[in-house]
Amino acid sequence: MRVEKCFFCSAPIYPGHGINFVRNDSKFFRFCRSKCHKAFQKKRNPRKARWTKAFRKSAGKELTVDASLEFEKRRNEPVKYNKELWQNTVKAMQRIEEIKTRRQNHFIANRLKKGKELRKLADKVEVEKNIHLIKSPAAGLKQRKQMVEVVMERDVEQMEEN
Amino acid sequence: MGRNRLKKMHKGDKPLKEKYRTKRRTRDLDLIHGDMKSPGSLLNQEVDLDKPGAAQCYCLTCAKYCIDEKALSDHFRGKPHKRRLKALETEPYTQEEAERAAGMGCYIAPKKVEVLLQERLGTEDKEGDTSMKPA
Repeated sequence: MRVEKCFFCSAPIYPGHGINFVRNDSKFFRFCRSKCHKAFQKKRNPRKARWTKAFRKSAGKELTVDASLEFEKRRNEPVKYNKELWQNTVKAMQRIEEIKTRRQNHFIANRLKKGKELRKLADKVEVEKNIHLIKSPAAGLKQRKQMVEVVMERDVEQMEEN
Repeated sequence: MGRNRLKKMHKGDKPLKEKYRTKRRTRDLDLIHGDMKSPGSLLNQEVDLDKPGAAQCYCLTCAKYCIDEKALSDHFRGKPHKRRLKALETEPYTQEEAERAAGMGCYIAPKKVEVLLQERLGTEDKEGDTSMKPA
């Protein structure tokens, strides 16, 4: 038994699921569901369909290069059952999965940080440009004028005294 | 009785199932990438009266027979052909890439592939042939 990967969306295909297509050059194509099969029939490019793993990886949306991704592999070596080995493997798989998800989440959080910065910058620019909507340019104009008049009068008085 | 309407009003109107039958399946991009590596047998085909244009005007990248030289040169100037050239510029998608995207190993981005134009390919082949003959 082997859990295969979908040709189009890279989802796992468990036994009894999905469909196989064999092209006339005897090449195998496995699909997890009719959605992927139909997309393939229509000659869609998996790198361009936004919902596939291939798109997310090639567009830099997800973690692509990491040591934690190197554990899952197609190993064509039969191994004799050994209870200890089995237990250790399951333990390791759980631990690796934990580390992998943490790193992937960290990668996505870092990726989203930039957008936050950009949004903040855009907000600042908008406020600077439209400051007249927040604070009227005429605010305090009267008081300023009065102040100027008072100062002028004082100056005139001083001049007269001299 | 001849055709009443010159314009084909319902040409593409058929259910998708019929359109995308394996019976009518056209050549995939990865196969075409293979064809481009050894274009000789496809570009210099024998006369086959069952094929359009007796199989003498074949577009390698679009995997399609034209009826004559003019149709082929018109096809080279057309949008579908140029779109196809663009699509062939990257490496073909494979099951290995799908598996790497699924987390079996690090994902390696597809590389660029140089697409030689068929017109030039044909001339190069002929030059190659002539140079081979004296030797």
